[in-house]
Amino acid sequence: MILAAADPPFTAAWALPYNTLVVAAGVASVGFAAGVVGSFAVLRRRALAGDAAAHATLLGVGLAFLAGGGRRDLPLLLAGALAAAIAALGCLVLIGRWTRTRDDAATAIVLGVSFGAGITLLSGITARGVAGSAGLEQFILGHTAGLTATDARMLGGLSLLAVCLVIMFLKESTLVAFDPSFAAASGWPVTLIDYGLVVLVALMVVVGLPAAGAVLVTALVVIPPVTARQWTDRVGIMLPLAGLFGLVSALAGVAVSSVVPRMPTGPLVVIAASTLLTTSLLVAPRRGGLARWLSARRTVAAWAEGRLLEIALRLEGAGPFTREQILARAPGAAAASAFRRLVRGAALEPVVVRGGGHAWRLAARGRELAAERTRRLAVWTEVLEAAREDARGQLTIDVPSPESILGAARLKSIRESAAAARGGPGPT
Amino acid sequence: MSTTSAGLEFHDVTVAYGRRPVLWNVDLTVPGSCLFGIIGPNGAGKSTLLKAALGLVPLAGGEVRILGAPLDQVRGRVGYVPQRESVDWDFPVSVTDVVLMGTYARLGWLRRPGRVERSLAAECLDRVGLADVADRQIGRLSGGQQQRVFLARALAQQADVYFLDEPMAGVDARSQERIFRVLADLRAEGKLVVIVHHDLRSAAEWFDAVALIDMRLVATGPVAEVLTPENLRRTYAGRLDVLDEIGRAVAEGGRTP
Repeated sequence: MILAAADPPFTAAWALPYNTLVVAAGVASVGFAAGVVGSFAVLRRRALAGDAAAHATLLGVGLAFLAGGGRRDLPLLLAGALAAAIAALGCLVLIGRWTRTRDDAATAIVLGVSFGAGITLLSGITARGVAGSAGLEQFILGHTAGLTATDARMLGGLSLLAVCLVIMFLKESTLVAFDPSFAAASGWPVTLIDYGLVVLVALMVVVGLPAAGAVLVTALVVIPPVTARQWTDRVGIMLPLAGLFGLVSALAGVAVSSVVPRMPTGPLVVIAASTLLTTSLLVAPRRGGLARWLSARRTVAAWAEGRLLEIALRLEGAGPFTREQILARAPGAAAASAFRRLVRGAALEPVVVRGGGHAWRLAARGRELAAERTRRLAVWTEVLEAAREDARGQLTIDVPSPESILGAARLKSIRESAAAARGGPGPT
Repeated sequence: MSTTSAGLEFHDVTVAYGRRPVLWNVDLTVPGSCLFGIIGPNGAGKSTLLKAALGLVPLAGGEVRILGAPLDQVRGRVGYVPQRESVDWDFPVSVTDVVLMGTYARLGWLRRPGRVERSLAAECLDRVGLADVADRQIGRLSGGQQQRVFLARALAQQADVYFLDEPMAGVDARSQERIFRVLADLRAEGKLVVIVHHDLRSAAEWFDAVALIDMRLVATGPVAEVLTPENLRRTYAGRLDVLDEIGRAVAEGGRTP
């Protein structure tokens, strides 16, 4: 059983609550920092590289354990892990520069090879029953039960350091993540900033090892930023939000695993993080699936209703019209249900009223709506001709009022320039 | 000094990707203040020439001088508009955020943009006609608006030499007119504007001088002297549809803005 519970290093009963508290605080800051630093890994599209680094840490842990003569000294083991993570990232860079292997293949190779080597080494050490090697496997899936207050303080301190660095270099990192060639052209040392970010990601992966383990720690670095992205369009808001989601996920994982014996924390952290993610993917405003589905439905409905009114207005020239007459001119499933809505809405706000027998006619309100829509479409068409981009950026299928969208002044200038373009050979 | 010396010089510049040459022995001198077009067929190395000037691709040989000096001495005086497709427009930044990036190099490490930079950004956005979308996320703009965001960012660099890589790609006529007017204003302020461009008609209309490129420099000089049927045939070897279009463009002649 590789998931053996570690012996708690503390013995005095009075130490327990304090220790638990410190560990919780440490893990919370690790989760927060992982979200913040991870945001840049995601924005710079380095999420997979972070995963490769994470898997490589096991090899570093094993080597550091051997180098330390069998001491289970967390700072030493994590230093080994960090060295291995950076070495793995270095291999990625070298493979990219000197061979013609593609990025994804290179990442898979480094991940697989280093993880295989790490597992082999750790298994070898534990199989031989080297003294003190009992808890080493916990680095695979994470287990915080063995953390001391000192360990937690170190993890928390490193996390805070990482967050401070990101805040300090927020401007530079955002620039390089968004547009590296512009950054390079204006003289920024893009490679240096990139390496700095990658080393920070490696640091967070290592600091997150006790909480989530080598296999799953990227979840702590990648999932919270993606979750945060659903809720905001600003880096400045995305970072603290990602931190918050990371913090909640890490704490939830640690809390549950402390109640359930022998439960590794990593999978629990992932479950918590992915619950937040799926919820966000569903319900986030604008980017969320639900919001997009609703808006797509509304769009289709609004367009169909508008079309029907337009057709009804035209048909009415020849007296009342039937449902069939209208639907013959507006094919599609949306039209039939739009007609039902128009008729059903008649009680509240008469748009379409009975015109005798099976026939219908437009009520005053319906005529007004149809006329307004026709007018708006005519104006939008004009705007489209004169200023296609302004129109395309802002015209939606529910045909909003051009005056309210573009502003009266701007609309006037667009229409004037359109008139000028029609009247003469154009401005010279 | 920038008025007397050349704005941009390529001396025997050669660029290769791996063993494949992209540009051969380009010798090109661009005067200090004008609208200068780099023109040629797809894959001719136009963008590469621009990137070579900006130090974004390594030179296999030769040297580039900007305002009479090596690039590293004049970086602060150089503005750049990369190709629109070179970035991820879903990136979580606003239009103003992107324009502010033009001030970052001047600010240097750690310093954040303040009130001065913000008002400069607003001014640049106004110049390209995007003041009313300043707070919008950049993905929620049309292609031409995105292109103008990049132009506004370059304006915020307050440079003396501007490099633009296909700024009219995917841009409608109105935006194109607007961008050209901003560029003409820059020239009027005494700046040098170097543009990689594909449309010969508008090139003939707006540019003062051009370089025809197809892996090597075919011809360079004032528009009327360079865009001749003979030169175009040498640049667009065999691409006759293009030649027709050019013939018309040249016949119509340049417009004086």
